[in-house]
Amino acid sequence: MKSSLVRQALVLAALAFVPTLVQAIYFGDKVSWRSPVPASEMVTVTQARAWDKNAIWVDARPDNEFARDHVPGALPLNEDRWNELLAQFLGAWSPEKKVVVYCGSEGCNASREVAHRLRKEAQLANVFVLEGGWEEWLKEK
Amino acid sequence: MNDTSNIKHQTSNILHFLWQIVDVIVGGIFIYAGAIKVLDPVQFANDIDNYKILPWTISVGLAFYLPWLEIFCGLALIVRRLYFGGLSILTALVAVFLAATIAAKIRGLDITCGCFGHVSQNWNFPAHLAIDLAILAALLALSFRVVSGNRLQDAV
Repeated sequence: MKSSLVRQALVLAALAFVPTLVQAIYFGDKVSWRSPVPASEMVTVTQARAWDKNAIWVDARPDNEFARDHVPGALPLNEDRWNELLAQFLGAWSPEKKVVVYCGSEGCNASREVAHRLRKEAQLANVFVLEGGWEEWLKEK
Repeated sequence: MNDTSNIKHQTSNILHFLWQIVDVIVGGIFIYAGAIKVLDPVQFANDIDNYKILPWTISVGLAFYLPWLEIFCGLALIVRRLYFGGLSILTALVAVFLAATIAAKIRGLDITCGCFGHVSQNWNFPAHLAIDLAILAALLALSFRVVSGNRLQDAV
C-alpha cells in the first residue's frame, strides 16, 4: 500500500509538470523569475544608461548609504523621509523623463516600494526598477 | 437473518454514496481553487512571496506548479484514479499551508493567501483558519477511510 501511495503521488506530480511547463513558457514575458516586479517595469543598467539625459536616477537606499556613494546625479528618495524627499524629487522631475529607481542589491525591496509609491501616490508613469540595484551598477561601472 | 444482512448492505451502500459525495465536494474545491490560480499565476506568486519564506524564483515556480497539482489531485478524487496519491498530496499541501499561515500570523505578516483568488482576499485570519481546518478534516477523514481498508479495493 505504501509503494502504491508513493507511485500514485509521483504519477500525479509528474502529470502536473506538463501543463506547468506550457504555462511557464506562455507567461515567460509576463513574469520575472528574478524579481517580483513585472519584466516590463524592470530595466538593466545598460538600458538605463542608454537613456542618458532622459532618465532621472532615484536612490531608494537609506540616507547614510546614499551619502557614502551613489549613481552620479541620482536623487535620494527613501521611505524614511518620504514627504520631504518626494517634494525635492518632484522639483527635478519632468513628464518626458524616465525614472530609474534602485536600492542596494537584487534582494532588497526598497526600490520596488518606492517605484510602487511613485506610480500610485505621485501618479507617475515611466517608473522603472533597476535590475540588481547598486551592486549591479558597481559591477558595470 | 436475511433482513439484518439486507439492512447492513443498504447502510453500507448509503455510506459509500455519502463518501463519494465528500470526494466530489473536496475534489471540486481543489479544482476550483487551482483553476482560479492558473488564470493569474503572477498574483499567486506574489501571494506566496508575501509569506516571506521562500525566494522569489521558487515562489514563481510554485505559482505555476501548485495550481495544476491541485487540479490533478482534485480530479483524482472525483474520478477515483490515483486516489490515495491525490489524497496524500492534498493533505500534505493543506497541512503545509496551514503551518505557513499560522507562522505568518505569529510573525505579524499581513498576508493574503489567494487560495481562492479574489473570493478569499477579504477573508480574515479566523475565516481562513476555519475553512482550511474543515478541508483538512475532510481529507483526513477520507484518508482514514482508505487506511482502515474500507475502500482499499477502489483506491488502488
